[in-house]
Amino acid sequence: MSGTNATSQRHINDRSLTRASHDRPTAVISWLAGPVWLAVALLTWRWPDADDFPNTSLLAALFAFIGVILLAATTTGFLKKRAPWALAIGIFLGGWEVAQAKLLKLPRPFFGTPQDLLDVFITDWSRLGNSLLHSLGLLAVGYLVGSVSGIAIGIGLGRSPRFRYWVHPLLRAIGPLPPVALLPLAFVLVPSSFLAGEALMILASAFPVAVLTWSGIASVDPAYYDVARTMGASRSFLTFRVALPAAMPQIFVGLFMGLGASFAMLVVAEMLGVKAGLGFYMQWAQGWAAYPNMYAALIVMSLMCTGLITLLFKVRDRILIWQKDGLKW
Amino acid sequence: MVTSGLSLGLSSIHHGYTINQDFQAAVDNVTLNIAAGEFVALLGPSGCGKSTLLRLIAGLEAPSRGKVSSDGLPILEPNPERVLMFQDPTLFPWRTVRQNIALSQDICGKRDEAAIDGIISLVGLKGFERAWPHQLSGGMAQRAALARALINHPRLLLLDEPLGKLDALTRLTMQTELHRLWKERSFTAVMVTHDVEEALFLATRVITLSARPAKILSDIKVNLPFHRHRDDPEVLQLRKSILTQLGHRDDW
Ligand SMILES: Nc1ncnc2c1ncn2[C@@H]1O[C@H](COP(=O)(O)OP(=O)(O)OP(=O)(O)O)[C@@H](O)[C@H]1O
Ligand SMILES: [Mg+2]
Repeated sequence: MSGTNATSQRHINDRSLTRASHDRPTAVISWLAGPVWLAVALLTWRWPDADDFPNTSLLAALFAFIGVILLAATTTGFLKKRAPWALAIGIFLGGWEVAQAKLLKLPRPFFGTPQDLLDVFITDWSRLGNSLLHSLGLLAVGYLVGSVSGIAIGIGLGRSPRFRYWVHPLLRAIGPLPPVALLPLAFVLVPSSFLAGEALMILASAFPVAVLTWSGIASVDPAYYDVARTMGASRSFLTFRVALPAAMPQIFVGLFMGLGASFAMLVVAEMLGVKAGLGFYMQWAQGWAAYPNMYAALIVMSLMCTGLITLLFKVRDRILIWQKDGLKW
Repeated sequence: MVTSGLSLGLSSIHHGYTINQDFQAAVDNVTLNIAAGEFVALLGPSGCGKSTLLRLIAGLEAPSRGKVSSDGLPILEPNPERVLMFQDPTLFPWRTVRQNIALSQDICGKRDEAAIDGIISLVGLKGFERAWPHQLSGGMAQRAALARALINHPRLLLLDEPLGKLDALTRLTMQTELHRLWKERSFTAVMVTHDVEEALFLATRVITLSARPAKILSDIKVNLPFHRHRDDPEVLQLRKSILTQLGHRDDW
């Protein structure tokens, strides 16, 4: 009985979807994107500013540069699915430039101009960069320690009745408390504001990870344990090679929730006690009514958060490659 | 490699489960001795307690009353010498077919890649080593589970409807393979099946069980030489008497 079948084998290995062929409207949009950006560049450059704004010609050059790149991407066939977005962003930036820099239609100083924003990145990039690094450092330590301890607590809860007896009540008492509520206490109790921030971020991320790891382990099909036990598996094999991988889908839900909670905790900690990082930068910018700086910090923060979530999903896709779900971030 | 079989002793086994605070008996006073190297087929109506009996022999559960022993020693917990192939394939979804088959080797910590290759081609899963369980058909998953049970040369093989999900032709091939392996390795086998012909083709002894709770109705020695033909008059005669035992006198 040779069940070998070349076609089905190829079918199994081929995980990529075939790219959908492109219809005419998308092609037109793709050819529109570059010229629109170039037109915005021209507008920015030739239409005189309504006030004395910095970097107008640099902004125009930047727009033109992006326009050329988009054109090149269209000719080489790289710009397909993202063409509508490229076009939309060009139109949005052009509209903003005209409305504020040329016509001053939006209330100042709360709304700046595109060149104001560009100016922040040019003049203040090192402080922004340092704030980003500081935030990332604070987040990385807190989140990683929190997740690892969350997984460990979840395994303990799921696999050891004695551990569950002692830890479950504590988890129920402390876990649902928003870590923010502990902030004033933490800054008094813990001498360094950095450590206090870390402690709260660990709490924030460990709780969802622990609960979901536990729930994942609790719902493992007992037949999996039976299979391994008939083959002589030890308790640690059952825990780490059966329960843990079976619980992985749920653990990643916990890791995702924990990451969100750490973002919130990070910003709160930086705004209220830790005198560094993007949250602190934003606080400072708001205090000085430096709104373009605040927007710049927001953009950097959004990039950081989405980047980290993307990273988490990449790891998830690697580890949960055996699942048939097609969830994509 | 020749492994010698385990002998089995079940003495007045009672077992049952509590469902919604009601105790439901599943096995009722089963006494059974199986000699080393026998191939025993268990036949009985659905839900009568066949799988339960295998779980008791595997050591996954302890009987409410009575003793299970192998080679004279009481069975207290599972042991890799006694491998149970479950009714459902229960492959680990996070392991590839190959990793699933290698499970018992991973548990004892020494891989034998050549043996894995051999067993994979034996069950006809060549080319699917790297597939995930959800990519297999029901019959393929069952063959993978069979390979997983066979890989480490158990001395007692407990099979719970091992070929139930296979098509008729694959089933014949797998029966021949099972028979060959049993001859070659001389393990003891206890196989639950719903297929009387399959039982008569493979077994040295056919035991019929009553509806729940399982009692032994009959214990028939099949003293026929291998290779048995399915239309052999003696086989047909046995088949008729077994079906009659199971209460299907008129249906066959
Ligand atoms: N874990 C369990 N909890 C409660 N009751 C159980 C459990 N396992 C089995 N039973 C009960 O024991 C009885 C026998 O079940 P068993 O699985 O041994 O039947 P079976 O003979 O293998 O049936 P089938 O041929 O349909 O597989 C059934 O009535 C079932 O409801
Ligand atoms: Mg059964």
